[in-house]
Amino acid sequence: MAMKFVAALRRGTRPSGNQSMHAPVVRSRTSLLRLEDVSRVFGMGEVEVRALADVNLTVESREFLVVLGPSGSGKSTLLNLIGGMDRPTTGHVWHYDDDLAVMSDEQLTDYRRLKVGFIFQFYNLVPTLTAYENVQVATELVSDPLPPWEALQMVGMADRVEHFPSQLSGGEQQRVAIARALAKRPEIILADEPTGALDLQMARHVLSILQDLNREHGMTVILITHNAGIAKVGTRDIRLASGRITEVRVNERPILASEVTW
Amino acid sequence: MGRWSHGRGCRRMSVLDHKLWRDLRGNAAILFTVVAIIAVGVGSFTGLLSIQRILRNSQANYYRQYRFADFWIDVKKMPLAAAERLERMPGVAAIEPRVVFDVILDMPRHDEPVTGRLISVPTRGFDRVINGMHLMRGSGFSDTRDEEVIVGESFAKAHGLEPGDRIEMILNRRKESFVIVGTAISPEYIYVVQGYGSLAPDPEHFGILYVKEGYAREILGFKDAANQVVGQLVPDYEQDVDVLLEQIDRQLAPYGVLSAISRRLQPSNRFISDEIHSLGITALIMPSIFLFVAVMVLNVLMSRFAQSQRSIIGTLKAIGYSNWQVVEHYLSFGLLIGLAGGVLGIGLGLSIAWGLMQLYRGFFQFPTFQYEAYPDLLLIGMALSLVFAVAGTAKGVRRVLQLHPAEAMRPKPPERGGAIVLERVQPIWKRLGFRTHIALRSLFRNYGRSLTAIISGMLATAIIFAALTMRHSMWVLLDYQFEKIAHSDVDLALRDSRSVDALYEAQRLPGVQYAEGVFGLTADLRHGRASRRVTITGLPDPHRLTTPLDDRGRPIDVPPVGLVLSDKLAEQLKAGAGDTLELTPVLGERQGRRVPVASVVREYMGLGAYADLRYLTRLVDEPPAVSSILLAVEPTRVNALYRAVKQLPEVSGVNVRAQTKVNIEQTILRTMLFSLTLIILFAGVIGFGSILNASLIEIADRTRDIATFRVLGYRALQVASIFFRENGIIFGAGLLLGIPFGYLMVRVIAVAYNTEMFRMPVIFSLKITLLTAGVAALFVGIAQWFVLRQIGRMDWLEGIKVKE
Repeated sequence: MAMKFVAALRRGTRPSGNQSMHAPVVRSRTSLLRLEDVSRVFGMGEVEVRALADVNLTVESREFLVVLGPSGSGKSTLLNLIGGMDRPTTGHVWHYDDDLAVMSDEQLTDYRRLKVGFIFQFYNLVPTLTAYENVQVATELVSDPLPPWEALQMVGMADRVEHFPSQLSGGEQQRVAIARALAKRPEIILADEPTGALDLQMARHVLSILQDLNREHGMTVILITHNAGIAKVGTRDIRLASGRITEVRVNERPILASEVTW
Repeated sequence: MGRWSHGRGCRRMSVLDHKLWRDLRGNAAILFTVVAIIAVGVGSFTGLLSIQRILRNSQANYYRQYRFADFWIDVKKMPLAAAERLERMPGVAAIEPRVVFDVILDMPRHDEPVTGRLISVPTRGFDRVINGMHLMRGSGFSDTRDEEVIVGESFAKAHGLEPGDRIEMILNRRKESFVIVGTAISPEYIYVVQGYGSLAPDPEHFGILYVKEGYAREILGFKDAANQVVGQLVPDYEQDVDVLLEQIDRQLAPYGVLSAISRRLQPSNRFISDEIHSLGITALIMPSIFLFVAVMVLNVLMSRFAQSQRSIIGTLKAIGYSNWQVVEHYLSFGLLIGLAGGVLGIGLGLSIAWGLMQLYRGFFQFPTFQYEAYPDLLLIGMALSLVFAVAGTAKGVRRVLQLHPAEAMRPKPPERGGAIVLERVQPIWKRLGFRTHIALRSLFRNYGRSLTAIISGMLATAIIFAALTMRHSMWVLLDYQFEKIAHSDVDLALRDSRSVDALYEAQRLPGVQYAEGVFGLTADLRHGRASRRVTITGLPDPHRLTTPLDDRGRPIDVPPVGLVLSDKLAEQLKAGAGDTLELTPVLGERQGRRVPVASVVREYMGLGAYADLRYLTRLVDEPPAVSSILLAVEPTRVNALYRAVKQLPEVSGVNVRAQTKVNIEQTILRTMLFSLTLIILFAGVIGFGSILNASLIEIADRTRDIATFRVLGYRALQVASIFFRENGIIFGAGLLLGIPFGYLMVRVIAVAYNTEMFRMPVIFSLKITLLTAGVAALFVGIAQWFVLRQIGRMDWLEGIKVKE
């Protein structure tokens, strides 16, 4: 069974290469994501807030990257840029050969739709849809998704498919949200404080699923958090402060999700 | 202490006032939909009642100033002495004997014959007699010349006539040429129609001509005689007018009383009075519907508002604000919405009154018809707006009151999931897709909001359907009366009954393919206590140019014996087929005869009755005769016929069926187009407003879901499609309920307007139903466009962070 999932998921994780959504750029970039001198300035006129300043970052395929930083450090801005929800003020955000910085709204929508699976701190499930239907929300967007039922089985929610979010615990809701993210077979799983609203026990469970998706199914996971206790789960963790990357650490031996503590 | 607390109270209020303004600004779009609905309610109320009052005052002033008559007696011919005797009858204040005489006019540049109605007036002081004239242009009569005429203003305008021009007509076999010395209007012809049968003024083909009394009597053969008496009653005698008219009828019987009518039945007065009456009805119905919808929509809005601000309310209460202060704050919403609705509504009302006034100027002729704003109506409009707006906040305010601070400060419990009834039908449910699931669940869970939207949709649909159906009914009515029953091309009214030989003459007129003579007999029909004076139409055998139809639309043959009654006349006489009526002709001996009712036919205008021509003339002991001739004419030679007819002195009037129909159609089209457009637009405000309101609330409630969808890669249109589904269901339900409800409305309106003059056929038309659906869909579509825009413009980066 597991093998089938692996195969199923891998179909979605291959580099887009010449399948690029947009006109190929002459220079070839092999990295999954590459941020080049990215700055993002908010506000106009008198007050300017520099949320990100000259950030350079490369994310390789099958990495588990943890972005650490206190609130106001620019991690949400970074997530928005990587997630195709926002464009940098200056610099480039390369996804293989495509520059998100110059994409139209339509193109960014396609990028989010086809390449990224989102996981939010507060799950963002539609309260009037069942777990199954919430996953369907994602699968309807792509041509070759995992069946919702299989996605829910992968996160251990197969027996709660007909439940509404209000009938599920926070951890269970987050697992449904993960199922929603992975069912699209995205290249990147982008998790914004996925454990922020959970207790330690539930957080470990959710993290182990993410770790499993990364290790067993080869998905690239980018996890954003302010919780330093989670940093060692990733294969690499970077620290953000005042819009700049202050530290990059490669974890040769990431800890297991079950070892996480705070 | 008192001062201190007062001061503190003031400071508190000002903080809440700031909150009030910000909340209003933040919900501007949603609030505007309610304000618009209230404004239409207030606008239709003040507008319709304003124009009603303007009309009523103009009419009353005109009637008073120019001594509008209380009754009209038409006789064959009576000596002036007999007329003067009427003045001594109790109840009669004044009378005026006149000569009224319809003639054919030969208007240059006008092929078809034109009917002119000569009315004799005194040379001096014609503005002070009963039904006095108001001179619009020219100098009036001179003392030097007899052949002078003052023409009706609308007729003069239609024919481009100016004082100094000449007008020619054949009177007593002599061609007479009159000089126009002025144009005038009269309270008798505010709405210039020929008689009961005419629904619309036709200044091209019918006009009033005032001629000098003495000269008219001389050339028309009424020396010391008259054929009409108009009179005024002593004050407070109106309720006894019918009794008086019966007495007059008896007294004048030897002279042949053709009709004796009170003001109530006078055609011009009747049209205006009916219009004034129906304005009043509309001014009651329209605002009721709109304000009712406004209350519902506002209730939804305010209770949702109270719900979303529960923690703020709880906090305010917790830090010591009294219940009343908080309630006052939320009531202010209602008051401000009411104020805005009232101000907009008053503006709208003034515009409606102004627009209708321009429309009425085209039909009604008053010496002064001034636009006026009535402060009392505007104040009532404002009060209505405030009262209904505050009523609309009642539910929300009750929620505010019921909230306990401790409970209120906790966040609202998460939206409950759970299956709705429809989910029990799994095979169907499963096929629907999650977007439909969201739409359906949201509809069922917020049933108060959904119900409000559906009822609003129903009312909007019903109003549109009723308005379109009524217009359609008018078409059906005209088609029925002018195509299905009547088939002649040209009708000639003869001045006096002629022997049937006249038909042979008519047949020889150029272009005539076929001629049929009919005989009109004015008589009283009595059945038990019910009695009506009608003109019975004697039809020849066979009658090809007039085919009365039964209630299933089948043509019937008039039997050799007995009467055929129109359904309305049968209803008035409480008689049916097989009953026996007493028939008393108004001319001659007035001997009553017993006649059977052979059958009843359906008619939408007037109180028609038919009989075999020979049977009818036998009843009054006369040889067969004709009083009008109906012609089928070769279309290419119709102008030759017109030229010939203009030379015939025995013809008193010509009616060209197609022309009459087109004139009515155009006039009614013009009137109806304005009101129809207005009504449909207003209905649109309800449908559009309530759906948009529900959607905007839903969007506000679902900000996070929408943002999530957008982040996941859904386009604005795809997200909006959830709302499209929801509104589509509301629209469908509203349509489904609205069509039958609209049909019911038409039936009720048809009953209200069922008069002797006019009945409205109630017809269910699939075409109208589809058209209604189309118009309603258009308004829903506009609302959807706003929804789409709102979703497209949403800041979903912010929305995504909203906590549940």
